[in-house]
Amino acid sequence: MPKHIVRLLMLIGGALALGLAAKWYFTDPSFYRYGFYRADSVAEIAAQGPAFKTARYCESCHAERLAQWSAANHKTVTCETCHGAAQDHPQKKAKLPIPADAVKLCTLCHEAIAGRPRAQPQVVVAQHAGAQQCVACHNPHAPKLAGVVAKVSGDVAAGGKKHAASCASCHGANAISPNDTWPNLAGQNAAYLVRILAAYKSGAQTDVMMSPMAKTLSDAEIQDLAAYYAGLSCKAPPGAPAAGDAAAGKLLAKNCAGCHGETGVTRNAAWPHIAGQKSVYLANTLKAFRAGLRKDPMMAGVARGLSDADIANLAAFYAAQSCGPATETRKTQ
Amino acid sequence: MEPLNHFAPYTGWVYPNETVIEWTVLIVVYPYLTGLVAGAFTVSSLYQVFGFQRLKPVAHLALLTSLAVMVFVPLPLLLHLGRPERAFNALITPHLTSALSMFGFFATFYVVLLLVETWFSFRPFIVEQAQRRSGLPGMFYRVLTLGSYDLSEEALRCDREWIFWLAITGIPGAHGLHGYVGFVFGSLKAREWWSSDLMPVVFLFSAIISGVALLIVLYVVSCKLRRIRIDLACLKGLAYTVWAFIMVALILEGLEFANIVYKAREGVEVIMEYVTGPLLIPYFVLQFGIGAIVPLLLLSYMIWRGTTGKALIAGVTLSAVLVLLSVFMMRWNVVIGGQEISKTGMGLLSYQVELFGKEGLLTAALLVVAPLALLWWLTRLFPPWADKAA
Amino acid sequence: MKGERISSLVARRAFLRKIGGAAAAAGAVAATGIPGVMRKAAAKSEPAATQESFPTPDYDWTKHRWAFGVDATKCIGCLRCVEACKRENHVPLDAHHFNTWVERYVYLEGENRARVDSQADPVNIAASGSQGEYRFANRYQDAHVEKAFFVPKLCNQCTYPPCVQVCPTGATYKGKDGVVLIDQSYCIGCRYCVHACPYGARWFNEARGVTQKCYWCYHRITKGMQPACVEVCPVGARIFGDRNDKQSPISLFIHNNRVQVLKPETGNEPNVFYVGIDKEVR
Repeated sequence: MPKHIVRLLMLIGGALALGLAAKWYFTDPSFYRYGFYRADSVAEIAAQGPAFKTARYCESCHAERLAQWSAANHKTVTCETCHGAAQDHPQKKAKLPIPADAVKLCTLCHEAIAGRPRAQPQVVVAQHAGAQQCVACHNPHAPKLAGVVAKVSGDVAAGGKKHAASCASCHGANAISPNDTWPNLAGQNAAYLVRILAAYKSGAQTDVMMSPMAKTLSDAEIQDLAAYYAGLSCKAPPGAPAAGDAAAGKLLAKNCAGCHGETGVTRNAAWPHIAGQKSVYLANTLKAFRAGLRKDPMMAGVARGLSDADIANLAAFYAAQSCGPATETRKTQ
Repeated sequence: MEPLNHFAPYTGWVYPNETVIEWTVLIVVYPYLTGLVAGAFTVSSLYQVFGFQRLKPVAHLALLTSLAVMVFVPLPLLLHLGRPERAFNALITPHLTSALSMFGFFATFYVVLLLVETWFSFRPFIVEQAQRRSGLPGMFYRVLTLGSYDLSEEALRCDREWIFWLAITGIPGAHGLHGYVGFVFGSLKAREWWSSDLMPVVFLFSAIISGVALLIVLYVVSCKLRRIRIDLACLKGLAYTVWAFIMVALILEGLEFANIVYKAREGVEVIMEYVTGPLLIPYFVLQFGIGAIVPLLLLSYMIWRGTTGKALIAGVTLSAVLVLLSVFMMRWNVVIGGQEISKTGMGLLSYQVELFGKEGLLTAALLVVAPLALLWWLTRLFPPWADKAA
Repeated sequence: MKGERISSLVARRAFLRKIGGAAAAAGAVAATGIPGVMRKAAAKSEPAATQESFPTPDYDWTKHRWAFGVDATKCIGCLRCVEACKRENHVPLDAHHFNTWVERYVYLEGENRARVDSQADPVNIAASGSQGEYRFANRYQDAHVEKAFFVPKLCNQCTYPPCVQVCPTGATYKGKDGVVLIDQSYCIGCRYCVHACPYGARWFNEARGVTQKCYWCYHRITKGMQPACVEVCPVGARIFGDRNDKQSPISLFIHNNRVQVLKPETGNEPNVFYVGIDKEVR
């Protein structure tokens, strides 16, 4: 064979050998170990840190919220579904609030649009609550409204009799309480009264005085009483000057206005009017919510952040408000 | 991160991730260049292997053209990669099930083959230059001799044998390389427009016509530049070659389209909407009409009438330019067209080609012109002209 | 040597010297590189696996066979999954890159074909206010809707993944637990896999120059957690689990329902199982 061809073949052979050596040298050692890939990459991928930490992570600090949430109808919606990923919380991100405009968040799931399964609770946003924020009425952790507004069909006259016989001694002959510690009942929302009396009766709510009283009442008697109180005038003589600062209370009351109305006259019959209510009673009740003695998912959350001074101020503010006219009260549904 | 300005507007329903057209004009250029390589090599093989003596004036030019273009074939691919610095990975761990990973080997093999065949073809010239020249050019030629100045009858006979066998190996090599490019597209079942058994063959035949057409243009232009009379027999030979292969290419492309329409699988409505809408001009008018049928008729007419002289030169050159356009449009319609039809079969996208930028028209144009510049330089080093070299 | 007339002998010598010089240089490189080569050789002859369980000490991928279920009858289209996925996996916050997305199919009265959109539709982006937030606009409120439903989509982690088949480098592969992974430090960014996927599940990360896709939050499932989208789904429309465990949610889901997969004609054998989808879903 001519020399030039031999040299050419040597050149090609050398290049081939160089190529093979390069392949051997540069191929990652873990390549081919489990297949046609770099085995080390599996562990690298698995090593990333998760951003979403799961409810178990949240529970280590927020057990109380979690308990409420896990007992209620939002329990399939985990913490991070609304609050976002818990990564960096609390170290770098001190808080994980839901957006200020919660309507946008809530309606992601609850706006009535084509395609959403029927089982999903949905509202036509414009007709449901106007411009009001969802959280004004619904506790996001337990969004089902406490008691669908009860139907009240009691006998006013029978209620009056029952009142005189059993309740008047404490709550006053006209259902205006003689002292600051017990609540006025006159003019209160009937649906609320039915709900709270039924709760005392069932034991869902407990009170040293009220629990034994309510246990003696029949369902019909509760209806009668509620109808009777709702029809009375709430006008009451001014009570003793309250301990708190009503002006400071007015500022705090903005947080309550969504449900209880601006001055404590609520538009929703499921909830109590608190305008003109006894200040000591209001303060005691808030403290009971705060301590968990009185149970209500929404109020527990609200009361948790209140100091004693806040409570006194709020009580002073509401006690000073005019209770009527209750014409705005929404008709029972 | 460079701004994402290349997302594609769409109609109907497309998957959200499809709104970025991933394979741009660079991937149109890539099979175009590969096709030119295969086509030019075909011409040189017709002479070297099949003894088409009338093609002798372009045989060496064809080889150099093939080499010059082949050098640039990997460039559009490299430029298009998200991580070009890792391209080496495809060579050290080539995934044997991937058509794309085979590219490195096909291409390397083929570049080596072209280099060796060119080297053999020009060896007498190299040796002569090595002995005659001094200085840097002399050094260049001396290195190329591999230290052997043996031009004996025995050595030359050996060279001719090598050239013959290399040309024979090169035929499946070049055509395999291009058939494989068709396979890259045809093997993807995800896209109805690509997924076709005919795709490799269609690519192959369009490759051949584009390469021959390029040689026609190069030959005519080079003769004009060198003020040399055009060898009409050679030009006619090239024209016959284009003429024959256009017919096959046309029939294959027509068959492929007919298959899609006739089988009318899921999503055919969208395909029909596409070819009768956005694709009407690039596909039917440019690729088929002006690019293939017009040159076919023109060439047929000239062959029938026995046209000769200046008219033949003008007619054949015009046909060749049109064929070059047609084949480019064919690449465009496959690569871009396939991506403009959504995988949902329920929507169409539209590719927004950018002018500047890494994957813009300008880069593409440069990539098409660059091999010609290299070829010009190569013809300086290794004059392929039969009239002088012989 | 310049200008000197050289005989063929001299030329040959010059050439050989060149070769010799090159060889010497190569030798020198090799000599300095010998420790490196030795290390490399040592690394290659390492025993196949030094740890007992792979890929992490707490997770053995041979013991799991992951699968995913989608109950389209439950999906409410809230898109919390899409948002969570983008956050969990650092997916660009625009309308063109998604590991998972949700499609809405709406049949209007008298129409035989569905109108389909996803959260990436301009109308829905207008409703959410930004490309980084997701919401389905109430666009059919005034129309007569005959039938409508949502369909979450994600990577199917096919049993015979076409994306893995076409990857030229082995940068994407199917793990022993069934998840198709991408080695982002090995991917060259050719995007062949993007085209090979019939489901549009893969996308190209322009900033990093590599392809990405849903990997069932591999970093979570190997730690015993659920994928982020499953974690945040408020209605249980996404089901995930181990098919090796007969009591896992996914095993029960597949067992108790008549499940189907997307584009079965491709032969990819997807591992995301759907309930409650319709003829137009593909």
